[in-house]
Amino acid sequence: MKKLLFAIAFAFFALTGYQAFAQEPELSPERKQAIDSLALEKVRDLSKYVKLIGSKNTPWSEANRVIDRAEELFAPDAEIGVSSLSKTKVEYYKVRQYLERLMRLNYDRVEIDWYKIQYVSDLQRQPDGTYVGVITIFQTFKGYDAEGRLVYQDTTKKDITVYVKRKETQIGGRLIGFWDVLLGDMRVKETAH
Amino acid sequence: MLKQLKSIVVFATIALVTICGVTSCGSSNKLSKKEYKARVEQATKDLNAILNNETAWTLEEQQARVNEIKKTDFSKKNPEIVEMIERAEAKIAREMAERDRLAEERRLAEEQRIRELEEQNKPKTSLTEYFDMIANAKDVVSANSAIKEALKLFASPDAVVLIRLNNYGDYDRPTTAVNYLNYIKDQKKVNVSVDNVKYNEKNKITELELIKK
Repeated sequence: MKKLLFAIAFAFFALTGYQAFAQEPELSPERKQAIDSLALEKVRDLSKYVKLIGSKNTPWSEANRVIDRAEELFAPDAEIGVSSLSKTKVEYYKVRQYLERLMRLNYDRVEIDWYKIQYVSDLQRQPDGTYVGVITIFQTFKGYDAEGRLVYQDTTKKDITVYVKRKETQIGGRLIGFWDVLLGDMRVKETAH
Repeated sequence: MLKQLKSIVVFATIALVTICGVTSCGSSNKLSKKEYKARVEQATKDLNAILNNETAWTLEEQQARVNEIKKTDFSKKNPEIVEMIERAEAKIAREMAERDRLAEERRLAEEQRIRELEEQNKPKTSLTEYFDMIANAKDVVSANSAIKEALKLFASPDAVVLIRLNNYGDYDRPTTAVNYLNYIKDQKKVNVSVDNVKYNEKNKITELELIKK
């Protein structure tokens, strides 16, 4: 009987707690706009990092530092897809592995540019309070040989899932509420010349 | 008869009290020869010590002692003590003035030292200027050099940097000075303005709050 009462009480508090959470007001348009922009900015930041890591002009120590910064943008188990015009299968790598491979690509010069960075699925609030959306990017890749000849190029469309979660931290005795943006898997959608 | 006797007794009492009072006052004002001699000796000794810098008393203590000596009238029998008192007072006044002058000089020198220290610590280049220098650096070497200089403004490379997104209490993930300066170098952009800066006692930044433009 005691166990039954405990189970009822637990279920009651769990349900009312959930309802209280579910009834939390949505963000105002201004605040939602701020986190939309923040998540988009993180993807733009990543595009600069990818360009720096891939560039043969970036000193080795700098490239490694940038890899650390780029890795921090991603959720721990995120994967990045790699496609090629010569292969039909898309290979997926852990973020660090992808970035280290990018640094060591077997070309004498590499040019990587991202463009048309935009939401394909707006940030939507999930039951746990995390906002999830999808941002698409187009990437052009060009690899040159020692003579400066373009030996490979492609354009890939990739979708990146973004997770934005409200967190809090104490700084100098002050409670700071911040939005933690983490990038999830980067999936290859299309690859073309 | 009884009335007359009563008047005589009252008169005699008043006379007695008056006489006693006068005698008593006279005995408190007048010093015995022995007491006076002792005072002369002590005053001479103390005044000589003051005049010859042979005392460990402070100037205030010396002045208090002179004031005490002055309470006894030495002018008739020992005018040399009066002359010593005058010289001692003049010496004390001179030394007090000199001491005050030196203290003022020290205070001004200290103020000047603090001003110079503040001037030294005052950044020659502002933080915003460093941001622009780093973002627009022609190469990694010059960007790193600007970062190295900019970091001197901070108490530590790990000083907290907060980036406020709006006025609703929304921030980006907190970062550190060194990471934020490198971020500017990598991204080649500055899209924030300085909103609030906290310094330590050495005038170094301990916390920087930026706001998105």
